[in-house]
Amino acid sequence: MDFTLTADQTTLATALEGLIAPFKDMPVNFRGFALASDSLEAQLAEAEFFDIATTEGLGPVSAALTVERLARLPFACEAALSMLVRPFLPGGPWERPIAVVEQGRPGRFVAQAKTLVLVDGEKVSVARVTPEDVESVESIYAYPMGRLKKEVRGEALSSSEAVRVRRWLRVAMAAEAAGLMQAALDSTVDHLRVRKQFGRPLGSFQALRHRMAECAVLTGGARWLALKAASTESEADAALAAFQAQESATRLTYELHQMLGAMGMTLEHPLHLWTYRLKALLGELGGRAGNAREVARHAFSA
Amino acid sequence: MDFAWDEKHVAFRTQVREFLRANLPDDWEHLAHGPASEAQTKFSKEFCAKLGKAGLLVPHWPAAWGGRDADPWTGFILAEEMWCVGEPRGGQYMNVNWIGPILMRYGTPEQQQRYIPPMARGESLWCQGFSEPEAGSDLASLRTRAERIGDVYRINGQKIWTSYAGAADTCYLLARTGEGKSGVSIFLVPMDTPGIEVRDIPSLIGEGDIHEVFFDDVEVPASARLGGEGEGWTIVRAALQLERVGIPRFALAQRMLERAVSILKTRGQARESETAAARARAACEVARLYSHQIIDQRSRGLPTGPEASAARYATVMCERIVGEFVVEHCPDALADGDPLLRAHHQRAIVAGIASGAAEIQLNLIATEMLGLPREPR
Repeated sequence: MDFTLTADQTTLATALEGLIAPFKDMPVNFRGFALASDSLEAQLAEAEFFDIATTEGLGPVSAALTVERLARLPFACEAALSMLVRPFLPGGPWERPIAVVEQGRPGRFVAQAKTLVLVDGEKVSVARVTPEDVESVESIYAYPMGRLKKEVRGEALSSSEAVRVRRWLRVAMAAEAAGLMQAALDSTVDHLRVRKQFGRPLGSFQALRHRMAECAVLTGGARWLALKAASTESEADAALAAFQAQESATRLTYELHQMLGAMGMTLEHPLHLWTYRLKALLGELGGRAGNAREVARHAFSA
Repeated sequence: MDFAWDEKHVAFRTQVREFLRANLPDDWEHLAHGPASEAQTKFSKEFCAKLGKAGLLVPHWPAAWGGRDADPWTGFILAEEMWCVGEPRGGQYMNVNWIGPILMRYGTPEQQQRYIPPMARGESLWCQGFSEPEAGSDLASLRTRAERIGDVYRINGQKIWTSYAGAADTCYLLARTGEGKSGVSIFLVPMDTPGIEVRDIPSLIGEGDIHEVFFDDVEVPASARLGGEGEGWTIVRAALQLERVGIPRFALAQRMLERAVSILKTRGQARESETAAARARAACEVARLYSHQIIDQRSRGLPTGPEASAARYATVMCERIVGEFVVEHCPDALADGDPLLRAHHQRAIVAGIASGAAEIQLNLIATEMLGLPREPR
């Protein structure tokens, strides 16, 4: 057991902080939802961050840590699937960006994707797509959303391959959600420290302090579960991480908007970038009910 | 970062499990029902003596005090396995977790020689005289007074909610020798000292657990004081650091959840409760990981920060969620059903109250982890 970063992970984290430094703030005049950056993606690719899950000395935990950190940025980028799913897709090589289409629904980064993971219940296939196959969808989910314009045929995975890919999809979603929750929490803390009502900072009212503390415990818990799932590569851990990410995100998205009041309703404040990304994740991979079924299957199998 | 166990820790866990298999009687789960009942107290003394002989009572203590210098993980694995089966050590877990280590750090050589070896042999039971009728979460407002008269202290006052007081040999007592936090001192008081009266408080937690303890002109020698006069608050804070992440409650909670789900499976009712079971199972895992993070810090000699409060709160939540799951989905557990499910319920309901209210932890998290401004007083 080791809950600290290895020397390699510390080096990686330092390099990442340098790379993302220009992307830490929402542009002053941005008043929208799907804030993304091609430049950020290009720099991550250039620095070979998308390959760290299979890099000696790094591996999936380092990838999950990176996904979590990137998700805290106001800029969305397709990192989670590229870092935690793509290396484990059978066949290939598969070009990134990667996106998931679940039961034909619109999905994150589908319009940008060169590879689609098509999920229909327990069946999974992987398809190469061109811009002619997909289109953008206007959305308030704060990710670039897209959908298939026409049916595409993918390479069907065997049931054992599908189990493995679905496991990594869960880990990727959980790591991303953990970062989104942390960023949403941090931005809310900043507000509660400075916003005064009744003559004192909102953050000094115990009714709010306790709810924020509970949100902090949920956020940290979701992060540990995601990192553990990346480390153990166990079906049960992945299902628990995905379930708890969605469970915690459900609570946080409500609580944090309550804390920010009307300020959180504006597009001027960045909170929505993280909360609406979290909302996009709530229904993925079967939602809480679907992930609970996976927990039942793998964590209570005895 | 690595979530796999070292081989030596896996081997130690196996050793503890084998010991439990060989030494827990068939009717153990019925005994576990009253954490401080006469029957369990008697059993625990015999059991702890056996643990001591097998080198499994205090392996993480220094060799000089009967241990074998094992790391904090060893102590926590031991605690997980013990709590997981219903804590057959009874109240002696406190000796192992924090009273012994605190005496090693702050005790005089005489106090150490008197109290630590019996703990390492599994022969002594302690109670902690902390809460008072007017001092619960605001522990620093305690009123029990210890007045210095020559070579003795004369103690007057009342403690309440004191676990194990009915059977304890010694009380780890907080009393006031001056004003404010710097006026709190600690005394190691034999429970057979004249002037101490113990009354049982029937409670939800189980037979013989909590008590009122009255101190009426109780005289102890000055040598019974632990640390300097007025040093009590500092020592208590050190003890709470160990106690906050002390009981691995998630271990029994998870086992009871698995038992409840297993019962539901045999009844063909598991499908309806899948989401609730996943919620409870995830809560156990969150509490485990937070707690393990703290043990990792301890094993590196790092100071524990506000994460200890997060660990404690996550543990309280896992007890709550599992407890609610059992009551909702296996309601017969509390009505002459599985005895350990009931025993767990009775231990779980106190999780957010014993050793400091969960709400105090939330305040600490808000201030120390999130940096939110304190509430004005």
